[in-house]
Amino acid sequence: MVNIELVPNPATIKEIIEESRDVKSFVLEYVEPKSMNARPGQFIEVSVQGYGEATFAVTRTAQSGKEFTISVKRIGHLTKILHRSAEGDIIGVRGPYGNSFPVSEWHGKSIVIIGGGIGLAPLRPVIDHIVEHRKEFGDLEIIFGARSPADILYKEDLKKWEQDKGVKLYTTIDVPFEGWNGRVGLVPVVVKDLAVKADDKIAVVCGPPIMIKFTVAALKELGWPHDRIYTTLEMKMQCGIGQCGRCNIGEKFICKDGPVFSLDQIPTYAL
Amino acid sequence: MNKWHELKAADLKNFLSQLADKWQVWVPYRNDGKWEFAPYDERRELEFPGSVIHVSVKQLLFPKRRPLATYDEESTWSVKSVTPGEKPRIIMGLHPCDVAGISYMDKVFLRTEHKDALYEAERKRTVLVGMLCTEMEKTCHCTDRGLAPDSAQGMDVVFTRTEDGYLFQSLSEKGAPLLESEYLRATDDKPDKKEWPHGKYEIASPEEFMEMYDDGIWHELSDICLTCGICTYECPTCVCFLVADEKFKGKGERVTVWDSCQLQSYSRMAGGHDTRKTPASRVRNRTLDKFAYSHLRYGQISCTGCGRCVMVCPLKRSFPQLGTRVTERIRNKKKMTRDATAPAKED
Repeated sequence: MVNIELVPNPATIKEIIEESRDVKSFVLEYVEPKSMNARPGQFIEVSVQGYGEATFAVTRTAQSGKEFTISVKRIGHLTKILHRSAEGDIIGVRGPYGNSFPVSEWHGKSIVIIGGGIGLAPLRPVIDHIVEHRKEFGDLEIIFGARSPADILYKEDLKKWEQDKGVKLYTTIDVPFEGWNGRVGLVPVVVKDLAVKADDKIAVVCGPPIMIKFTVAALKELGWPHDRIYTTLEMKMQCGIGQCGRCNIGEKFICKDGPVFSLDQIPTYAL
Repeated sequence: MNKWHELKAADLKNFLSQLADKWQVWVPYRNDGKWEFAPYDERRELEFPGSVIHVSVKQLLFPKRRPLATYDEESTWSVKSVTPGEKPRIIMGLHPCDVAGISYMDKVFLRTEHKDALYEAERKRTVLVGMLCTEMEKTCHCTDRGLAPDSAQGMDVVFTRTEDGYLFQSLSEKGAPLLESEYLRATDDKPDKKEWPHGKYEIASPEEFMEMYDDGIWHELSDICLTCGICTYECPTCVCFLVADEKFKGKGERVTVWDSCQLQSYSRMAGGHDTRKTPASRVRNRTLDKFAYSHLRYGQISCTGCGRCVMVCPLKRSFPQLGTRVTERIRNKKKMTRDATAPAKED
């Protein structure tokens, strides 16, 4: 019997968490005892029988390695089907794939995490890692932008991070909203307003392509060198192992050479 | 160097029938005017064309539609992976460009930690019996791609036509058992070496192609390309695929199907974001992938000069012409820079 990489393994939906009006998190566990050893930034391929497969970042893994979580925004064919599923349902999972954030290379440095919308999902394991290994890192700043208060994800985590003395959290929404007393403004604008200094820090950016583009431009304006800005890119992916062809940017496959890149590793035309 | 063995033309069928006892034997047959590989049938007339076989051998190793696993819809994902074929197989009559294409596929499917198990199994059970070309079609241009019509590189056994028969030579351990036949006789004869002309499709270096990314030429080229994708299906090195789950009467199947970067839906994501929306961006992707990205990835450009894309293009503009047009632009640009910076001539 050969092991065909593209054939998924069954996993049970243990828990469904309503994160926002169109995002649900799914806590999963393989049916056959098997652990998910995803490093921060890695992704998995998730399928619903007979409907197809799509790519999701692993947004949290339990210490035991047994339970792992994905966050799914209802936006296309498969995500709609996933949103209709219930706890106890079985879906298909394969992975983890791709490279990861080089967190151990960042020891001793302060980290700025900048997330837009569902772009916070692949960044959450980075935050978890830093919070768990607090002594290894300098300060942690988190800038998180959502379209509106109803689009804010991971509310419990945000509360926890806000109370953590070692964390500075800035949550912003795109446009003013009744009842919202917090910060208002697009992420790149907030980055400029806060005048986030480069010093010896590392910036980690993820969000919709347009948000990444302008946030990176804002950081560059603030004097950030390319090799200290990291992002995780998204292209249409299918195989996850650098063979099906579609996720290339130039000669690089996002699924295999990425999805994590520092800015100096990305061809200029990609952004 | 292993010795050459001769086979009399009259013994060809006996030899092949003997091989067919142990191996599945695939040979070129003419189907509706087009050459393609098909299982050997001793009742059919046999002939080995001296140049390109129209339908690429790609689909014998990497079929158009490839089932990976089946599942029962009612059950809780009881997935059953397919079992790859194991019977040893000979593909006979491949040309040097076909073998170069297979060597490229090996790089795509076998180079990573996640090997394609089905491709690997197909490759393992297949013995490549190549034939040196005796002629070049007017679409052939392997000589423009650093290959030669009489190169045996990558073959397990090589053979060539002579006046009254064939000469065979084994080149690998896998190929040696094929030549243990009473119909073959060791000889000191050797195939003649020949000079081959260049084709019409010379191209610039991968580095020069990379510099053309932001050039306006892609818009001009997309005016002469339908982005229909037929060149990608016929190309021996285009192996992009789609992973799909198909459901029929309660039974499910996971399959891979050939896909093409020339088609509009290829890179479109959920939510509609598409990084290669315009025909120009798709023409650029394929041209650069053939002549530059492939070289950066695997150290081998992914054009073998087989000329199939020239034959099938509905606009008769054909893919290698795109490469040639970009190359012309590169040369002209260089010439213009040279002229502009050259010291003025004295009267």
